[in-house]
Amino acid sequence: MQSARNKPSAPRRTIPTELLQALRQRFGERFSTARAVLDQHGRDESPFEATPPDGVVFAATTDEVAEAVRLCGQHRVPIIAFGAGSSIEGHVLAVQGGITIDLSQMNKVLMVNSEDLTATVEAGVTRKQLNAAIKDTGLFFPIDPGADACLGGMAATRASGTNAVRYGTMRENVLGLTVVTADGKIIRTARRARKSSAGYDLTRIFVGSEGTLGIITEVTVRLYPQPEAVSAAVCSFPEVGNAVHTVIQTIQVGVPVARAELLDALTVRAVNRHSKTTLKEQPMLFLEFHGTPSAVREQAETVQEIARENGGEDFEWAVHPEDRTRLWNARHKAFHACIQLRPGARAFTTDACVPISRLADCIRETIEDTRTSSLPCPIFGHVGDGNFHCVIVADPNNAAEMQEAERLNQRVMQRALAMDGTCTGEHGVGMHKIPLLKEEFGDDAVDLMRRLKMAWDPLNILNPGKVVVP
Amino acid sequence: MEEERRRLAEAISTAAADKAPLRLRGGGTKDFYGARLDGKVLDTRGYHGVVNYEPSELVVTVRSGTPLVELEKTLAERGQMLAFEPPHFGQGATVGGCVATGLSGPRRASAGSVRDYILGVRLMDGRGQDLHFGGEVMKNVAGYDLSRLATGSLGTLGLLLEVSFKVLPIPKSEATLRFEMDERGAIEKMNEWAGKPLPVSATCFHDGRLTVRLSGAEAGVRAAREKLGGESVGDAPAFWAAVREQTFEAFRGAEPLWRLSLRSATPPLGLPGRQVIEWNGGLRWIASRAPAQQMREAAAKAGGHATLFRSHDKAASVFHPLPKALFDIHLRLKKTFDPAGILNPGRMYEGF
Ligand SMILES: Cc1cc2nc3c(=O)[nH]c(=O)nc-3n(C[C@H](O)[C@H](O)[C@H](O)COP(=O)(O)OP(=O)(O)OC[C@H]3O[C@@H](n4cnc5c(N)ncnc54)[C@H](O)[C@@H]3O)c2cc1C
Repeated sequence: MQSARNKPSAPRRTIPTELLQALRQRFGERFSTARAVLDQHGRDESPFEATPPDGVVFAATTDEVAEAVRLCGQHRVPIIAFGAGSSIEGHVLAVQGGITIDLSQMNKVLMVNSEDLTATVEAGVTRKQLNAAIKDTGLFFPIDPGADACLGGMAATRASGTNAVRYGTMRENVLGLTVVTADGKIIRTARRARKSSAGYDLTRIFVGSEGTLGIITEVTVRLYPQPEAVSAAVCSFPEVGNAVHTVIQTIQVGVPVARAELLDALTVRAVNRHSKTTLKEQPMLFLEFHGTPSAVREQAETVQEIARENGGEDFEWAVHPEDRTRLWNARHKAFHACIQLRPGARAFTTDACVPISRLADCIRETIEDTRTSSLPCPIFGHVGDGNFHCVIVADPNNAAEMQEAERLNQRVMQRALAMDGTCTGEHGVGMHKIPLLKEEFGDDAVDLMRRLKMAWDPLNILNPGKVVVP
Repeated sequence: MEEERRRLAEAISTAAADKAPLRLRGGGTKDFYGARLDGKVLDTRGYHGVVNYEPSELVVTVRSGTPLVELEKTLAERGQMLAFEPPHFGQGATVGGCVATGLSGPRRASAGSVRDYILGVRLMDGRGQDLHFGGEVMKNVAGYDLSRLATGSLGTLGLLLEVSFKVLPIPKSEATLRFEMDERGAIEKMNEWAGKPLPVSATCFHDGRLTVRLSGAEAGVRAAREKLGGESVGDAPAFWAAVREQTFEAFRGAEPLWRLSLRSATPPLGLPGRQVIEWNGGLRWIASRAPAQQMREAAAKAGGHATLFRSHDKAASVFHPLPKALFDIHLRLKKTFDPAGILNPGRMYEGF
């Protein structure tokens, strides 16, 4: 699709053959211009048309990233950092051409400090790899976007997941970063201490900068002790609203629920088909409680009580660890399950996040708005944070459908803004939500972000055309 | 308040035009903190009051000139609190000063720091522009996270006008326990407990005594108390207030007070002076006349940094010196927010 919003802000830049030669000479087989490799790096999980780069460097070290950045900088050629490529707003698309730096080979866990509950990993380590590496320490890393994203990409998008309501997002859990700046210098934003370093909290700006301010090569994150007891349950409701109210009241009475995920009936049906589960095809909450055995029992009883008052049924418990894993795997796969409602389709994924008191209204209005559409619009989300997704499934070869999907998506974003919320709670701006930023924060605030970008990246070589445009 | 905001904007734009330094100030309780104080005082206390408080949302938006005591009282009336337990360091502490210094209290190690609770800010930059970043929602990834950058920037990037905090319910139950042990043992114990699912909400070691606070649901606190043992402490709230406010006897005295932020499991440093350890070992206060060099080297070796927190003599740089590449990007950041360089110049580092 080449909608107005998918139009590059500037044309592709020319790539001097000199640069391609220099990269080939320096990186040998780890520099590729093969069609398949370019195509693979020219798309993410967004509905936007693939836009491949002109070459891909598979970097192995921070120094190599710095070298590649310097080489590209000499020729003013765009550099796009690429993690797992699971973003959904066109983040990694090479809209002005250029060189993609793929970090997936930087996949070493550098240090696990079980004493002070931190781990330092290379940017390409995925969340599952990290958890596998620390399995025996009694610790875990809680942030779990549905995809098995890598820590560099997660930091760059300020990702969250199903545990955010209890453990926070990448924003709270990244303690320090090693970053290559636009001029190819290597900086560390914090030393190993928990408190960030002296000076400004640079960690916080690089977290969520979507590859536009620097390339993250190492990430230090906080780990948590595995809870003594964990219990998970699903609970069915007659209507989505009842489920949402249950979560809101749970948060309001201060139950420290670890996970509270909503799935509407269509999502449950998609999940059943995709993950061969036998969940009742009704609006449903997936819940999880962490704590001491007695605290977990207490929390679960309170929430069951609230659910019942809201017309919810009895909890169905996932008792064994395998059952829990199966449940959360199914949840993580909900996005792809929804797309599979129409094989070959692409999805527009809304990402509204609103104050929790407005959440029920926001979801209700979204359901009313999408009901008349011919497109399937399953809804699910991290309702404990006020964040939900409506996955609008459309046929990429049908222009009318793609327009309809984009129209619905825009309306969800406008609805969120009207309710003092944000157009994006976790997926980010990418190339798609640039105009919305102005509506959310005003021209002056966006102008300041733009000036910051230009101060740090005066040649505009780091992922140009994303987040802010000159 | 509209008018007061206009006054602040005018003061800033005039200062910018004249390139005349301004010293942003609330109650002045933290004047001691930071390097140089320079410029004409711009008092924020006229810009005060709660803008929006929705207890059921766990969100409060408040103007920066609001006294911290007033905000805490408002929250306590609804059974809520600022979870990072900010130090006041005096009667008149304001919300703006709390956020601009970015200092957190005893609960920091378990609950997180000030910046972890900032959902959004309204900030007036060095050109007098009124800017919003973030908002009142729990998650927001729209653009760069400038609201958290403002936290701890010591007023060098802008004047905080309003801050939205995430607030939390006051724990249902608390207990404070005390253990006699040496420093090495205490550091080990604190780290061991932090790695377990225990409701430890504060730790403090001083002079052979480790004091530990548990907070949470009744059952959890009771269970942890039985597990840990120790001796129950009588006037616990007063004890933790004294630690937070540094009225505790170890903090008194004429020596410079250093704040070393390090890897929590770092073994005893053996530095000369009186010491108080907090945050499971991650924060070590040392009142000492030892040379700055010695403090900084010890901190750096332990993966951290040392701040000259209180001192009459600030000949040594107050904050850990920055490597050149970092200094350079700080400078560019500062120029973006405050092109004329008028906001609290030199308060953090010489040069911006
Ligand atoms: C099925 C599914 C479920 C999802 N669920 C969630 C969810 O629950 N919560 C959530 O927050 N997101 C979710 N996402 C979105 C996505 O997974 C996250 O945004 C994730 O953090 C992206 O990580 P990645 O490694 O795939 O990054 P990529 O897609 O490779 O890159 C994302 C952006 O970060 C930049 N980048 C990547 N690596 C670096 C680096 N090392 N340095 C600097 N910049 C870099 C890229 O240039 C790009 O702008 C989901 C996506 C899918 C497909």
